[in-house]
Amino acid sequence: MTATLVTNNRNTGAWLVLLLAGVFEVGYALSVGGSQGFSILSWSISALVFFLLTLFCLSVALKRIDVGIGYAVWAGIGSVGAAALGPVFFDETLTPARAFWLAVIIAGVVWLKLADSPKLETKSKAAMLGATQP
Amino acid sequence: MSWLYLGIAVIFEIAVALAASKAQGFTRLWWTITTLITGAIATFFLSLALLTFDVGVGYALWVSVAGVGITILGAMLFGQRLNWRQGAGIGIVIVGVVGLQLGGAA
Repeated sequence: MTATLVTNNRNTGAWLVLLLAGVFEVGYALSVGGSQGFSILSWSISALVFFLLTLFCLSVALKRIDVGIGYAVWAGIGSVGAAALGPVFFDETLTPARAFWLAVIIAGVVWLKLADSPKLETKSKAAMLGATQP
Repeated sequence: MSWLYLGIAVIFEIAVALAASKAQGFTRLWWTITTLITGAIATFFLSLALLTFDVGVGYALWVSVAGVGITILGAMLFGQRLNWRQGAGIGIVIVGVVGLQLGGAA
Protein backbone atom coordinates (compact mmCIF):
# COMPACT_ATOMS: atom_id res chain seq x y z
CA MET A 1 0.00 0.00 0.00
CA THR A 2 2.72 2.42 1.03
CA ALA A 3 4.89 1.28 -1.87
CA THR A 4 2.04 2.00 -4.33
CA LEU A 5 1.56 5.50 -2.92
CA VAL A 6 5.27 6.27 -3.15
CA THR A 7 5.36 5.07 -6.77
CA ASN A 8 2.33 7.21 -7.63
CA ASN A 9 3.86 10.29 -6.04
CA ARG A 10 7.11 9.75 -7.92
CA ASN A 11 5.25 9.36 -11.19
CA THR A 12 3.19 12.50 -10.59
CA GLY A 13 6.45 14.37 -9.99
CA ALA A 14 7.94 12.94 -13.18
CA TRP A 15 4.87 14.00 -15.18
CA LEU A 16 5.06 17.53 -13.77
CA VAL A 17 8.75 17.70 -14.73
CA LEU A 18 7.83 16.42 -18.21
CA LEU A 19 5.17 19.15 -18.62
CA LEU A 20 7.74 21.68 -17.46
CA ALA A 21 10.19 20.34 -20.07
CA GLY A 22 7.46 20.88 -22.70
CA VAL A 23 6.95 24.48 -21.56
CA PHE A 24 10.72 25.11 -21.67
CA GLU A 25 10.78 23.60 -25.17
CA VAL A 26 8.21 26.20 -26.29
CA GLY A 27 10.46 28.91 -24.80
CA TYR A 28 13.41 27.37 -26.65
CA ALA A 29 11.59 27.33 -30.02
CA LEU A 30 10.40 30.95 -29.66
CA SER A 31 13.86 32.13 -28.53
CA VAL A 32 15.64 30.40 -31.42
CA GLY A 33 13.18 32.07 -33.80
CA GLY A 34 13.55 35.45 -32.12
CA SER A 35 17.35 35.27 -32.14
CA GLN A 36 17.35 36.00 -35.93
CA GLY A 37 20.15 33.51 -36.64
CA PHE A 38 21.74 34.20 -33.23
CA SER A 39 22.36 37.84 -34.10
CA ILE A 40 20.26 39.22 -31.21
CA LEU A 41 21.98 38.69 -27.87
CA SER A 42 19.01 38.64 -25.47
CA TRP A 43 17.05 36.03 -27.48
CA SER A 44 20.26 34.01 -27.98
CA ILE A 45 20.94 33.82 -24.23
CA SER A 46 17.30 32.93 -23.63
CA ALA A 47 17.60 30.14 -26.24
CA LEU A 48 20.69 28.72 -24.53
CA VAL A 49 19.05 28.76 -21.09
CA PHE A 50 15.84 27.12 -22.35
CA PHE A 51 17.91 24.54 -24.29
CA LEU A 52 19.70 23.42 -21.11
CA LEU A 53 16.50 23.53 -19.01
CA THR A 54 14.42 21.49 -21.46
CA LEU A 55 17.19 18.88 -21.90
CA PHE A 56 17.69 18.57 -18.14
CA CYS A 57 13.97 18.27 -17.31
CA LEU A 58 13.36 15.79 -20.13
CA SER A 59 16.22 13.56 -18.95
CA VAL A 60 14.92 13.65 -15.35
CA ALA A 61 11.34 12.86 -16.46
CA LEU A 62 12.43 9.99 -18.73
CA LYS A 63 13.96 8.15 -15.78
CA ARG A 64 10.38 7.43 -14.62
CA ILE A 65 8.30 7.78 -17.77
CA ASP A 66 8.51 5.52 -20.81
CA VAL A 67 10.72 7.11 -23.51
CA GLY A 68 8.17 6.90 -26.34
CA ILE A 69 5.33 8.38 -24.29
CA GLY A 70 7.65 11.02 -22.80
CA TYR A 71 8.95 12.19 -26.19
CA ALA A 72 5.42 12.23 -27.62
CA VAL A 73 4.13 14.55 -24.89
CA TRP A 74 7.23 16.73 -25.00
CA ALA A 75 7.28 17.12 -28.79
CA GLY A 76 3.51 17.67 -28.81
CA ILE A 77 3.60 20.49 -26.26
CA GLY A 78 6.65 22.04 -27.95
CA SER A 79 5.19 22.15 -31.45
CA VAL A 80 1.64 23.16 -30.48
CA GLY A 81 3.06 25.87 -28.21
CA ALA A 82 5.41 27.22 -30.89
CA ALA A 83 2.62 27.32 -33.49
CA ALA A 84 0.15 28.99 -31.11
CA LEU A 85 2.55 31.53 -29.57
CA GLY A 86 4.60 32.39 -32.69
CA PRO A 87 1.93 34.88 -33.87
CA VAL A 88 1.76 36.37 -30.34
CA PHE A 89 5.47 37.21 -30.15
CA PHE A 90 6.34 37.77 -33.80
CA ASP A 91 4.87 39.18 -36.98
CA GLU A 92 3.38 35.84 -38.00
CA THR A 93 -0.09 34.64 -38.96
CA LEU A 94 -1.66 31.26 -38.26
CA THR A 95 -4.23 30.80 -41.03
CA PRO A 96 -6.85 28.02 -40.70
CA ALA A 97 -5.20 26.06 -43.56
CA ARG A 98 -1.78 26.33 -41.95
CA ALA A 99 -3.17 25.38 -38.53
CA PHE A 100 -4.83 22.32 -40.09
CA TRP A 101 -1.67 21.00 -41.78
CA LEU A 102 0.42 21.75 -38.70
CA ALA A 103 -2.11 19.74 -36.65
CA VAL A 104 -1.70 16.82 -39.10
CA ILE A 105 2.11 16.98 -38.80
CA ILE A 106 2.03 17.22 -35.00
CA ALA A 107 -0.49 14.36 -34.76
CA GLY A 108 1.85 12.33 -36.98
CA VAL A 109 4.93 12.90 -34.85
CA VAL A 110 3.05 12.24 -31.58
CA TRP A 111 1.64 9.01 -33.08
CA LEU A 112 5.14 8.06 -34.28
CA LYS A 113 6.69 8.55 -30.84
CA LEU A 114 3.91 6.51 -29.22
CA ALA A 115 4.51 3.78 -31.82
CA ASP A 116 8.17 3.70 -30.71
CA SER A 117 7.09 3.00 -27.15
CA PRO A 118 8.05 -0.52 -26.03
CA LYS A 119 5.67 -0.19 -23.08
CA LEU A 120 2.57 0.38 -25.22
CA GLU A 121 3.67 -2.43 -27.54
CA THR A 122 3.81 -4.83 -24.57
CA LYS A 123 0.47 -3.58 -23.27
CA SER A 124 -1.35 -4.06 -26.58
CA LYS A 125 0.21 -7.50 -26.96
CA ALA A 126 -0.91 -8.39 -23.45
CA ALA A 127 -4.40 -7.09 -24.25
CA MET A 128 -4.52 -9.22 -27.39
CA LEU A 129 -3.36 -12.30 -25.50
CA GLY A 130 -5.95 -11.58 -22.82
CA ALA A 131 -8.67 -11.28 -25.45
CA THR A 132 -7.88 -14.65 -27.00
CA GLN A 133 -8.11 -16.44 -23.68
CA PRO A 134 -11.50 -17.95 -22.78
CA MET B 1 18.27 27.82 -48.88
CA SER B 2 15.99 27.69 -45.84
CA TRP B 3 15.12 24.05 -46.66
CA LEU B 4 18.86 23.24 -46.80
CA TYR B 5 19.39 24.80 -43.36
CA LEU B 6 16.37 22.91 -42.05
CA GLY B 7 17.77 19.66 -43.52
CA ILE B 8 21.13 20.16 -41.78
CA ALA B 9 19.31 20.99 -38.51
CA VAL B 10 17.29 17.76 -38.87
CA ILE B 11 20.42 15.63 -39.40
CA PHE B 12 22.03 17.06 -36.27
CA GLU B 13 18.80 16.63 -34.29
CA ILE B 14 18.84 12.93 -35.19
CA ALA B 15 22.44 12.84 -33.89
CA VAL B 16 21.23 14.54 -30.67
CA ALA B 17 18.64 11.79 -30.12
CA LEU B 18 21.22 9.05 -30.65
CA ALA B 19 23.80 10.72 -28.38
CA ALA B 20 21.19 11.45 -25.68
CA SER B 21 20.11 7.81 -25.62
CA LYS B 22 23.76 6.77 -25.16
CA ALA B 23 24.29 9.38 -22.41
CA GLN B 24 22.01 7.41 -20.03
CA GLY B 25 20.44 10.31 -18.16
CA PHE B 26 23.61 12.35 -18.73
CA THR B 27 25.69 10.11 -16.47
CA ARG B 28 28.23 9.37 -19.24
CA LEU B 29 30.48 12.38 -19.81
CA TRP B 30 31.49 12.06 -23.46
CA TRP B 31 28.01 11.18 -24.72
CA THR B 32 26.67 14.13 -22.70
CA ILE B 33 29.21 16.47 -24.32
CA THR B 34 28.34 15.01 -27.76
CA THR B 35 24.64 15.64 -27.01
CA LEU B 36 25.31 19.27 -26.11
CA ILE B 37 27.55 19.95 -29.13
CA THR B 38 25.22 18.32 -31.68
CA GLY B 39 22.32 20.12 -29.98
CA ALA B 40 24.09 23.47 -30.34
CA ILE B 41 24.78 22.84 -34.06
CA ALA B 42 21.18 21.70 -34.66
CA THR B 43 19.91 24.81 -32.86
CA PHE B 44 22.15 27.12 -34.91
CA PHE B 45 20.94 25.75 -38.26
CA LEU B 46 17.34 25.79 -37.01
CA SER B 47 17.75 29.49 -36.24
CA LEU B 48 19.02 30.08 -39.81
CA ALA B 49 16.01 28.20 -41.19
CA LEU B 50 13.68 30.26 -38.98
CA LEU B 51 14.95 33.44 -40.66
CA THR B 52 12.61 32.36 -43.48
CA PHE B 53 10.12 29.95 -41.91
CA ASP B 54 7.66 31.09 -39.25
CA VAL B 55 8.56 29.64 -35.85
CA GLY B 56 5.51 27.35 -35.61
CA VAL B 57 6.00 25.96 -39.12
CA GLY B 58 9.80 25.59 -39.02
CA TYR B 59 9.80 24.03 -35.58
CA ALA B 60 7.05 21.50 -36.41
CA LEU B 61 8.84 20.53 -39.65
CA TRP B 62 12.13 20.13 -37.78
CA VAL B 63 10.75 17.98 -34.94
CA SER B 64 8.59 15.79 -37.17
CA VAL B 65 11.12 15.11 -39.95
CA ALA B 66 13.79 14.39 -37.33
CA GLY B 67 11.29 12.06 -35.61
CA VAL B 68 10.76 10.16 -38.87
CA GLY B 69 14.55 9.94 -39.33
CA ILE B 70 15.07 8.64 -35.79
CA THR B 71 12.44 5.92 -36.27
CA ILE B 72 13.87 4.79 -39.63
CA LEU B 73 17.48 4.91 -38.39
CA GLY B 74 16.53 3.06 -35.21
CA ALA B 75 14.94 0.28 -37.26
CA MET B 76 18.01 0.09 -39.50
CA LEU B 77 20.48 0.02 -36.60
CA PHE B 78 18.64 -2.77 -34.82
CA GLY B 79 17.84 -4.62 -38.06
CA GLN B 80 14.10 -4.46 -37.40
CA ARG B 81 11.29 -3.91 -39.85
CA LEU B 82 9.02 -0.94 -39.18
CA ASN B 83 5.70 -2.03 -37.68
CA TRP B 84 2.40 -0.78 -39.11
CA ARG B 85 2.05 1.88 -36.41
CA GLN B 86 5.43 3.40 -37.27
CA GLY B 87 4.64 3.23 -40.99
CA ALA B 88 1.32 5.00 -40.40
CA GLY B 89 3.00 7.71 -38.29
CA ILE B 90 5.60 8.36 -41.01
CA GLY B 91 2.77 8.50 -43.58
CA ILE B 92 0.79 11.05 -41.53
CA VAL B 93 3.87 13.28 -41.15
CA ILE B 94 4.59 13.12 -44.90
CA VAL B 95 0.96 13.96 -45.76
CA GLY B 96 1.15 16.94 -43.37
CA VAL B 97 4.44 18.26 -44.75
CA VAL B 98 3.28 17.90 -48.37
CA GLY B 99 -0.09 19.48 -47.53
CA LEU B 100 1.64 22.41 -45.85
CA GLN B 101 3.84 22.87 -48.92
CA LEU B 102 1.03 22.59 -51.49
CA GLY B 103 -1.10 24.95 -49.46
CA GLY B 104 1.72 27.47 -49.77
CA ALA B 105 1.74 27.75 -46.01
CA ALA B 106 5.36 26.66 -45.49
